[in-house]
Amino acid sequence: MSIEKDVVSRAIKGDGEAFAQLYGEHFDKIYRYVYLRLGNQAEAEDLTQEVFVKALEAIGSYKWRSLPFASWLFRIAHNQVIDYSRKESKAEKVALENDVASFDEPNPEVIAEREFEIEELVDNIKKLPPAQREVISLRFGAELSIAEVAKALGKSPGTIKALQYNGIVALRKITLGER
Amino acid sequence: MARKVEDILDNCLERMFKGESIEDCLKNYPERASELEPLLKASAAFIRKSAAIQPAPELKARTRSQLQELLYAKREKKREKIPIWHRKWAVAMTTVLVIAFAGIGIVVASTNALPDEPFYPIKLAAEQVRLSLTFSDMDKGRLNIQFAERRVEEIAEMARQGKNDKIPVLVEQVANHLDKVYLAEKTREIERKGPKVLVPPPSAPPPLPSDGGAEDYSVVGGYPEGLMIILNESRARSLNTLKGALEEAPLAAKPNLQQAIEDIKGDYDVTLFNLERVSSQ
Repeated sequence: MSIEKDVVSRAIKGDGEAFAQLYGEHFDKIYRYVYLRLGNQAEAEDLTQEVFVKALEAIGSYKWRSLPFASWLFRIAHNQVIDYSRKESKAEKVALENDVASFDEPNPEVIAEREFEIEELVDNIKKLPPAQREVISLRFGAELSIAEVAKALGKSPGTIKALQYNGIVALRKITLGER
Repeated sequence: MARKVEDILDNCLERMFKGESIEDCLKNYPERASELEPLLKASAAFIRKSAAIQPAPELKARTRSQLQELLYAKREKKREKIPIWHRKWAVAMTTVLVIAFAGIGIVVASTNALPDEPFYPIKLAAEQVRLSLTFSDMDKGRLNIQFAERRVEEIAEMARQGKNDKIPVLVEQVANHLDKVYLAEKTREIERKGPKVLVPPPSAPPPLPSDGGAEDYSVVGGYPEGLMIILNESRARSLNTLKGALEEAPLAAKPNLQQAIEDIKGDYDVTLFNLERVSSQ
């Protein structure tokens, strides 16, 4: 049994430390994915919390055979984003000031540059067609493999690779057009 | 048959995720290099920008606290269904088994074991046995603080040795121990008042106390006030230990250790805040 399978099966049985381990492993990636999809810190924070609460409630019914764990978790995140976007149809853009955790970054210019780059990336991703946006967010934000993205979205790996290719081409064109 | 450009692009991306350079990948596909290079350069920029999106440490600590609360409530529900003599029997059996398999000498020898050493599981098992045989919330809290600090010392040592891979797991274990410090009291509060999520404030963490002396877990004051004193001292010692390790750790270990310091600081602050709330109610 692989280490991840072992951790997941312990979490299914209610082992808190195992769930905490899965949480530690996936939290940043889920947050990054949700952030890229919504482009807003406060919404990304709320939704990321909700994803893990839902995962904890549902993990007892998770079956390894039908879906890799990362795909299962990101399917929850994907559904949360879809539900949220439906509710918030107006999708008002909120300024990204103070959106990025500053850690111990000493140089304000570096922070400003990083915030600008993130804002630009989020804006550009929003201009992609929904399917490409989803695949790009899962690949670059969450760093899921093609197989995991395919399972999470219920599509074939070939379709995901094509969406990824078209998404990168389109995103590059948008980025160059912005400059 | 020539490979599709989508497949080649994906192959290069996978290799880039693993740390290979664009040039390394292009060497394998010279006939497609001109087509692939701009896409891979753009992808590298997307990867770099995406990686800069990081959740605030407070959010991680807050979510973890919320999840621990849910888990604890779930576990308590389950425990209520198990007859008390079953539980006592399980504790007694665990103790006998650990001592039988490990021997008291090995248990003692395992005290300083690190996560990549053979005696480490014995160290953790012995800690679990100690926790199982401790019944008051105060003593359990005290032990959890002590074990959290042990994990911190292990993080410092692993970082000094440049062994990065175990650090995130150890950071989670520190958080787990600290969460347990106030969970018992919190559950009583939930039972008293109905479900309620305790979250830390967005600012104003408790002030950093002056540096503590030698490790001292003796009980000062009642519960939970006494634990807050011990926790404050432990916080100062832990942060000192980690900051000391940050100076000595190899360059490659520093980012992980810096992140660990932020996370652990947040975990201590959340626990102190929650204990403070419990004590003021």
